[in-house]
Amino acid sequence: MVTRMNGRALAATVAATTLLTACGGGDEDSGGDAGAGGTTYNQAWLVDFSGPYADVYNELQAAREATNEWWNETVGSEIGVQLAGEPYDHRYDAAQVASLWPGILSELEPIMAMGVGGPDVAALQQRLPQDQVPLLMNTAGYGYAWSADQWVFNPRATYAHEATGFVDWFKEDRGLDRPVRVAMISSEAAPAYVDIVDGMEAFAEDFPDMAEVVAVEFADVQPAALNSQVSRIVDAEADVIIIQTNTTQAVVTKQALESLGVEIPIMLSSHNSLQATGAAAGGIEELEGDYESYGFVVPAAQEGTAYDFYQMLVEDYGLEAEWTVPTVQGIAHQLYANRTVEHAVEMVGAENLTGQAMYDALLDVELTAEDLFEFLPPLDWTEEAPFPTSGLTTSIGTIEDGEYARAELDHEIPELEKW
Amino acid sequence: MIQLIEYALNGALLGLLYALIAMGFVVIYRASKVFNFAQGELVVVGAFLVWFFTLDLGLPLYVGFALALIGAAIFGLIIEPLLFRRLVGQSTFSMVMVTIGLLILLRGLVLVIFGPSVRPFPDLISTAPITFGDITLNRGLAYGGIFTILLAIGVSLYFSRTRPGLRMTVVAEDHQIAQSMGISVRRSIAYAWGMGMVLSTLGAVFYLNGKSVTFLVAEIGFAALPVALLAGLESVGGLIPAGIIVGVAQGLAAGYIDPVVGGSFSAVFPYLVMVIILFLRPSGLFGWRIVERV
Repeated sequence: MVTRMNGRALAATVAATTLLTACGGGDEDSGGDAGAGGTTYNQAWLVDFSGPYADVYNELQAAREATNEWWNETVGSEIGVQLAGEPYDHRYDAAQVASLWPGILSELEPIMAMGVGGPDVAALQQRLPQDQVPLLMNTAGYGYAWSADQWVFNPRATYAHEATGFVDWFKEDRGLDRPVRVAMISSEAAPAYVDIVDGMEAFAEDFPDMAEVVAVEFADVQPAALNSQVSRIVDAEADVIIIQTNTTQAVVTKQALESLGVEIPIMLSSHNSLQATGAAAGGIEELEGDYESYGFVVPAAQEGTAYDFYQMLVEDYGLEAEWTVPTVQGIAHQLYANRTVEHAVEMVGAENLTGQAMYDALLDVELTAEDLFEFLPPLDWTEEAPFPTSGLTTSIGTIEDGEYARAELDHEIPELEKW
Repeated sequence: MIQLIEYALNGALLGLLYALIAMGFVVIYRASKVFNFAQGELVVVGAFLVWFFTLDLGLPLYVGFALALIGAAIFGLIIEPLLFRRLVGQSTFSMVMVTIGLLILLRGLVLVIFGPSVRPFPDLISTAPITFGDITLNRGLAYGGIFTILLAIGVSLYFSRTRPGLRMTVVAEDHQIAQSMGISVRRSIAYAWGMGMVLSTLGAVFYLNGKSVTFLVAEIGFAALPVALLAGLESVGGLIPAGIIVGVAQGLAAGYIDPVVGGSFSAVFPYLVMVIILFLRPSGLFGWRIVERV
């Protein structure tokens, strides 16, 4: 009796497996799996839930997932593709990325990976062409990764580009007839932080009438005090201090400026934005007259196409995230990834998506601001760089009368040579 | 010349902050011979307790601070029954390994309980600077420096002149001998962790005053390591000169070497000083010289 039951169970298992296999119409190599809404493909969401950017990743990942859900329901179901995803926490650690990656490839068979930042690029850049999985980033790029024929794609130029765009705007805004005297506070804790300084120095060398780097201070990423460093910056008569590392350095710099009784505006980036630094400093009004600069929409105004899209995600897809920089970054990231999937489907069909097809689509696609609900400027990659090299722009946020405001939208970035 | 004095003074104050954090290392080591790798995490827990009782619960600043210290002491006391009770009499290595586990556990707990967000830290001390002519000093660090010196004297006297302190010293020597003398090893270890936790919370207050707190501030634990090793792991009094040496070296390196080499050489300079001194005096400047007869 037991034997007969086991035999029936075995027969049922074989039948079920056969049925499931028959339903699976996708290409086995691509990891595609046909289902009711179309062929399902996987994406690997790399996240930092327990490292230095853990404070931004709850909102950023929630935004990615809500956007993906919206796309699956509205666009994906129309074109016969569903995108599934799995988050992998790598703690912003290149060694952790390198150790997770083989498992991600074998378990998930992703058609694309959604990256976090420098550690992903450092760990995977060399092997992605062999793995045939494009790595789509939401961060700005890096000078050291600025090379041709590779599989990393940034929707923004480098952090240095975004800073130079700001300097260009700052000069115009202040009506300066001399170069802007730029000071930088950075760290040697990560290659990306050093690259930002290298890029700005290269810019100042190429455009001497635009910028002069008068002080560079490398400090701890969690400094107890920066009085000596800021004191040297004051002595160097800097017009602006650029800090693209983290919120702590920004808060401690503000404290040092206050203790010296000096007011020099600081410029921040997306990951240590005015909102994040303001929250850490005890209020956004503490950053009156300071700036942030990055290549996507500044979430200051609660109106416009981008904000309407965010509101739709909140109301219809249960997005639990405030209208903040990480949320915008997450939506923008997922939007351009999914728009690229649409283009890949046009190129190879819904049942033939692979990492190679995604790579080809990324190089071929021309996304407009409308396609991206104005979260990002138009994107057009080439094989020459991991980011679009033409039509680069940056948007600038500020604190004005204690309120978060847009100072400039899509300011043109000067054309930089590689450094 | 003014700049030289300013770099040296600011460096010395930073070194005294390291000495305060390192005091947590030393107190635990003196009482249990355990080198606590989770020292940075104790600072984080203390900092979050201060944030929780003051800014999150909205209690009056000094009431919240007092409650945070009480909470920290209780937290330290319960570490012993949770993690070390079964290890009494076992090798020191086992206990040290447990502190590595504690480091990972506390990091995870902080993330789960308080989340990864960067939180503002209250101004328990005015953030207005202290100025002497052209010299500007960070008020929080300056008060912290004075407090550290007084505390080091007090803790030194506690260990050398009081019965509970002497008991803890005996426990550090040998658990079995201590037990044979009727000293409760478990209680001594628990007190040491309680003290270590309170000292870490005080360190967090001077370190983070008016700044922000996140689980990443644990890095200060390793920044304080050269001071503890330089002083000698048993010497509370030695932390003061060791802190000043490390801090002044770091301050001067930040002022004069960093601009020349174009990098943060000052971050590694204290370790260089530490290695040189330990090469000459392996037990640190003021550590116990153990004479073992075979």
